[in-house]
Amino acid sequence: MGSSTKKKKEKAKDFQKTKLKVGKARPKNTNATDTSFAAKSIVFKQQSVSETRDATALFNHNLSLLSSKTEPQRRDALQYLTTACQVAGEELPQPASAVISKAQPLILDGSNGVRQQLLKLFKALQGDIGPLEQLLLYTRAGMTHLSTEIRLSALAVLDWLLRTQTDAVLTCPGGWIKTTKTFQNLLSWQGGLSSTGATMNGKWSATKAATSLGNNKLLVQQLNSLATFLTAGLTPEPVDPDAAGRRAADLFPLWHTDAHVLPKGSNPFGYLNLFGAPRDAESEVYDDAESRYEIFGELGLLADFQAGVKEAKKEGGEVGRAAALVDKALRLADDR
Amino acid sequence: MKRKVGALEKVDADLPNLQHKIKSDPTSYKDDFVSQYSLYSSVHELFLTSPTTTDDTGLVRLRDLVDFISHVADCYPQITAKFPQDLISLLQQHHASLDSELRDKIVGSLVLLRKKDIIDSNTLLNTLWPLLVSTPSKSLRALLYQKVVSEMRNSNSKTTNHKLNRSMQATCYNLIASDPASPKGLWAVKLTRELWKRQVWADSKAVSIMEAAALSQDAKVVTGGVRFFLGGDQEREDAADDESDQEEKNISMGKLRHQAGINKKTAKRDRDLKAAAANVKRKERKKSTPHALNFGALHLLNDPQGFAEKLFQQHLQPSQPKVKLNLEQKLFVLQLVSRLVGLHKLTLIPLYSYFIKFLTPRQPSVTGFLASLAQATHNLVPPDVLDPLVQKIANEFVSEAAASEVASAGLNGIREICARQPLAMNDTLLQDLVQYRKSKDKGVQMAARGMLSLYREVGAEMLRKRDRGKDTTLKMRAGEMAGARRFGHVEGGGIEGLELLEKWKEEQGMEGSEDEEAGWNNWDAQSDDSESDGGWVNVESEGEEIDISDSEDEREKAAAKKGKIEARKAKQADKENTDTADATNDAPKDNADAPKATPEAAAPTERTTASLEPAAALKREEAHISTLATTRILTPADLLKLQELRANATLTAALPSAKRRKLAAQAQAAASSRHADDAVTAIDIEGLALLSHKATREDKILLAKGQRPEGRDGGGDGNDHRSTTARRKERKEAEGKSTTNREKARKKNFLMTLGKAKKKGKRKLSVQRGILKAHNERSKRGGKRGNKGQ
Repeated sequence: MGSSTKKKKEKAKDFQKTKLKVGKARPKNTNATDTSFAAKSIVFKQQSVSETRDATALFNHNLSLLSSKTEPQRRDALQYLTTACQVAGEELPQPASAVISKAQPLILDGSNGVRQQLLKLFKALQGDIGPLEQLLLYTRAGMTHLSTEIRLSALAVLDWLLRTQTDAVLTCPGGWIKTTKTFQNLLSWQGGLSSTGATMNGKWSATKAATSLGNNKLLVQQLNSLATFLTAGLTPEPVDPDAAGRRAADLFPLWHTDAHVLPKGSNPFGYLNLFGAPRDAESEVYDDAESRYEIFGELGLLADFQAGVKEAKKEGGEVGRAAALVDKALRLADDR
Repeated sequence: MKRKVGALEKVDADLPNLQHKIKSDPTSYKDDFVSQYSLYSSVHELFLTSPTTTDDTGLVRLRDLVDFISHVADCYPQITAKFPQDLISLLQQHHASLDSELRDKIVGSLVLLRKKDIIDSNTLLNTLWPLLVSTPSKSLRALLYQKVVSEMRNSNSKTTNHKLNRSMQATCYNLIASDPASPKGLWAVKLTRELWKRQVWADSKAVSIMEAAALSQDAKVVTGGVRFFLGGDQEREDAADDESDQEEKNISMGKLRHQAGINKKTAKRDRDLKAAAANVKRKERKKSTPHALNFGALHLLNDPQGFAEKLFQQHLQPSQPKVKLNLEQKLFVLQLVSRLVGLHKLTLIPLYSYFIKFLTPRQPSVTGFLASLAQATHNLVPPDVLDPLVQKIANEFVSEAAASEVASAGLNGIREICARQPLAMNDTLLQDLVQYRKSKDKGVQMAARGMLSLYREVGAEMLRKRDRGKDTTLKMRAGEMAGARRFGHVEGGGIEGLELLEKWKEEQGMEGSEDEEAGWNNWDAQSDDSESDGGWVNVESEGEEIDISDSEDEREKAAAKKGKIEARKAKQADKENTDTADATNDAPKDNADAPKATPEAAAPTERTTASLEPAAALKREEAHISTLATTRILTPADLLKLQELRANATLTAALPSAKRRKLAAQAQAAASSRHADDAVTAIDIEGLALLSHKATREDKILLAKGQRPEGRDGGGDGNDHRSTTARRKERKEAEGKSTTNREKARKKNFLMTLGKAKKKGKRKLSVQRGILKAHNERSKRGGKRGNKGQ
């Protein structure tokens, strides 16, 4: 009996009319479907599960590991790449420029081992390493870095660059002035202003030692690199008056041969800066020693450097000897 | 990921420490700064080559450097000359791809640079505003919006920065006007509304921005603009109230002083007390400064008629509008249009026929439509336009067959319409509707009664005789009711207190034109009222002389003057009596007072006795007003005298009997004028429909618990059917206060009371006396510690 009244009630419920209130929105239908949903994501613990790979894939994998978060992994990857480069020579699965562009952020790496291994990799690389703009940027960032060790290794990279790609370094946009300015900042050779340490706006302030004791090694290294850099930049190319004539004679019927052959390097018209932001004096390209010398004098760098070298030479010892090298390089400019 | 930093490096990388040092001595730390800055510039350059990378790779992070440099940028203006521009271009070009933390840091740094006055607010706003409009990131938008608002408020805090406001308003306006179909205009709407609320912008330009928004072609922008007009002013008032509330709550000086008397005196407490005193004083001064007069947004519109027409034609009328608005949004627009029509008494005839198709009980939120219709009605709407609407409401809503809720909503709707335009009703329909006051349902009953009482006031002759009621019938018989009104009839206005001035002039015998000339000579009477050369000032200076000289004849004059004033008072009272129906009873009593006045006042009293017959007196009064105000131009001296007389009149009106009469009149006026400026809401229309429902058990339980049952919101009368004690207790608890002593005694732990209860009966009489004495003293003092200084 009880169940039947219950059933009756339930049946009656189906046909009950919902009471609508005047001026209010309709209540939702009982058979309305809820269409809201929540998205879920799937997370993999491993990046790849395949075991066997050929050399190219392994090389690429190691290249990608350069941006890994863990320090040993980065170092091991660098190690692998170094050996691969040494073995394969120029027949790498990827061009050297690609390797460089992947590896260059490691100049700023916090770990010493990684940076040393990176230098080894750079030295092992053969062939065209592409445009140096980025690499120089990273090098300069390393040179201005707060950590002394990073500065040292960045200087080593700069030395390597100067040894192998002298011209490319000097003629790359910003390669000359920006780098010299970086050196100026590093050595605090700002036109005697910092060395005097005088009273400014009525306040007396003490002179701070430009270099601390522990950084002596760094200072020497900096001076040495600067000397190399300046020598490379200010030495005029040996002019052979007959060279052009001889070349013209070789290719006799042709004129302006260079303009017609295919360019060898990548981005041959990069110096025109067709697509980049407009450059100022600092990031301009200075092609030959003459123009480099001119801008060097114009910006007042020459005078500052001479004053700075004078001070440095007085220190004697290792620093003095390095300063003498710089002085010698500066003479190149003086001679003109 | 931040890598481990060696001890020595830590010293170098300790930017906050360096920042502190630089701030105290910029010159000696210049080298350190230069090295940091060169690091920044190389990292920045690196970053520009690949802006998508996070800057977390190395020991230093770009955002730390940016933060550091922007904090000390004011110390080295030459070195950091390019820094703000760097940040701006970085943000402008790469805001979409930047790491969020770096991006926020750059925004913060720019604001910091603005605070240090390195960049001006125009630069900052020109950077942030376009980003706010264009960025896809929600968090950045929130940040930018907050910064823009605070910058606008800061630069307007001391004085209004008109230049900046103008440029920002132009930007906002252009954003909406240049591309009305884009949803970006929402930001302009949001900013304007916020600044309106904060009273930074209170001029017609801000209103014109919102006008453009309301007429734009994006649904959200339209709704934003419309809602501003409907609720912006309310919001502004609320915000102002909140502010003053907070201030009031803060400090009670007496309490602090009392505490200072009890607590140990230290230098710090002394300082705190002084600071609090200064604070209180400042707030008081702020309170006493005049409140800025702000007009409502609806009153600042340039062309309300054009605006209303455009709104209606663009959003409501066309069958295929440019913007697809849903019902709720349409209702908002309709509300605004009808508000405009009602407030400014605009003529928008097609609006009324638009309503027709919505006036059925099945229409969702029909009460909103009814409210809008009522709002759009004013006394200059032709009755024949409204007549079909009223008919339709009556037919659709009000019938025995319709649900009681529906009927009461319909009746309320009709009443609201007719309150504004009584001519919209015809007598057969009215008599029919009034019959519903016999309905069984409470809601319908009360709605019909409202209808009846309305027409007793505005159109009693349309009611059946037996429905008119006693008061109205009496009034009708006395001829006080305004007869059948005609469309377009306007009540004439007057100048308050003008009759007083005229009487005074008569008394002074100043009717000639030479006096008028004297008044014009004293043109700047208001500016130097201490000077005495106008006619009216002579009276006062005479009075002063009397006080000083004390001579006999002058004293007589003073007495004469006194008499005049009293006579005037009597007259004043008489005149007010004539307004009421039972004037005839009161008048003799008042006149009995009059002989008390000095004999010199006899002439004016005679004049007042002539005004015993109320209707005649009223007529004469009206005639006086019209002659004075229309025959001559009031001079400044006249106006000043008028002001003085008005002040005197209010003094007499402060007597209790006059006060009571005035209160009644005020209440009546408030009831009739409620319709003029307020918005009618759907809740008004729904009205007492609540009464038609029997509360369910669940509802009752909820009410008893102090919660509002769902479905019923916004009534706001605060009656939640709980006992007053329960409500008081809750309020006290919310304020963090305890309840009464009795309550505390009741709650006291039983064990704590035991000891006393045991001993109480065995106390010696002397002890008992001591206790009673102490209790008495304590209660006199006001508690254990007394309430000194509170």
